[in-house]
Amino acid sequence: MESYSYVNIFETKGLENLLVISFLVMLVFLIKYIGGPAKKR
Amino acid sequence: MGVGMGTGTGTGTARPEMTATTTPAPVTASALDSPRSLFRFLVRELRPRPPFITTFNVLSIPIVLVGLVILAIRFTQGLGSVTNLNQEFPWGFWIGFDVVSGVALAGGAYVVTFVVYVLKVERYHPIVRVTVLNGFLAYAFYAGGLVLDLGKPWNIINPIIGNSFGFNSVLFLVAWHFLLYMVAEFIEFSPAIAEWMGARRLRRFLQSITIGTVIAGFTISTLHQAGLGALFLMAKSKIHPLWYTEFMPVLFFVSSIFAGLSMVIVEGTLSHRVLKDHMDAEHGAFDKLIFGLARGAALSMFAYYFFKALIFIHEHHWDLMGDFWGNWYLLEILGLTLVPCVMFAYGIRHRSLGVVRAAAILALVGVVLNRLNISIIAFNWFVPNHYYPSWQELWITAMIITCEIWVFRFVVTRMPVLRKAPDFD
Repeated sequence: MESYSYVNIFETKGLENLLVISFLVMLVFLIKYIGGPAKKR
Repeated sequence: MGVGMGTGTGTGTARPEMTATTTPAPVTASALDSPRSLFRFLVRELRPRPPFITTFNVLSIPIVLVGLVILAIRFTQGLGSVTNLNQEFPWGFWIGFDVVSGVALAGGAYVVTFVVYVLKVERYHPIVRVTVLNGFLAYAFYAGGLVLDLGKPWNIINPIIGNSFGFNSVLFLVAWHFLLYMVAEFIEFSPAIAEWMGARRLRRFLQSITIGTVIAGFTISTLHQAGLGALFLMAKSKIHPLWYTEFMPVLFFVSSIFAGLSMVIVEGTLSHRVLKDHMDAEHGAFDKLIFGLARGAALSMFAYYFFKALIFIHEHHWDLMGDFWGNWYLLEILGLTLVPCVMFAYGIRHRSLGVVRAAAILALVGVVLNRLNISIIAFNWFVPNHYYPSWQELWITAMIITCEIWVFRFVVTRMPVLRKAPDFD
């Protein structure tokens, strides 16, 4: 039986993948934010 | 001789406030009609115009005069007589600031011309000429400043004339691209010169080749903006690992987009205050365009920030944090990249010109700091006696900027840059 192996995302590409995904998600929010109607101050 | 040239206001030089008292004469002939008319036109246009005693003139004339003396010493006594350059730091402030930073700040020209002529976003058309003029002058003066930094400046022509092309060198690409891009920008701006001289047929021809020139200029510009970053690829052992990456060409290109747009915002704001007498209503409505420019800057900064974060993680740079260089890096990335990016977004959403302008200034400082970090500050960071620019190097840089402003002022006060030329609508 195989034992459980912990994957450290700091040593793999995991963190980079998470960063790219978060970039894409945040880019959508940024485009919606700066393209939205002006907020009254 | 053209009718317009005999009026005293010039064919294309009638300023808006002058039109109230002096109606510009219609252009019926060109300054190019005969050598005599061209000579008279140039003599009249090249004559300095009042007011002569201004704050800028009072400050700039001593800067240029002292700068000329320093240049004379530099060319007679050698580089070492006025600079702190040495074998460990062969590239100093003239390269790091004037060339590497200055070319990034001139990036607005290729972005705006692409948006207007290729994407056909016509509302930015009023700022095309002034942006291209700024880009052209930046290249001419800052890249021209490269001549000062060469031990044998006459050899600068070698990559062009074929005396040792150096095909394998990135400098070969950069040299040719600088030259070709300056030609492209001059052609893009040349319809304004034709209008100034009343040369209708020449202007028609120049306008017909504008789109091709813009596409060529855009292609060349993206390549040499990245090429400037590629210049430093071979210095892996000399640049601090927080700044060295094989993706430097990509970072240089992306940062030139928001650096150029930020420069357009800052320069446009300044020139619309100082030169408002030379603008018509269409060109005076610059504030409406600022938010669109800021959008482009915010998005490109956002992408740039994530590029930097991705490279940081990919290269496992966590261990480099905590010391002076780590904090310096964070200042650049968080304080002068992420913060202005957020400020741009906030300013756009809340329609705050002040916040957007402050963000543009911070972004410019951030780009200049990044370029200085790579080329000077974090270059050979381990050497005990680090390079600091001499006062003469700083003075010459101030002189170059002053001369550029002189030429810019000369052009916009005479040619239809910030206004439409009468009879050429």
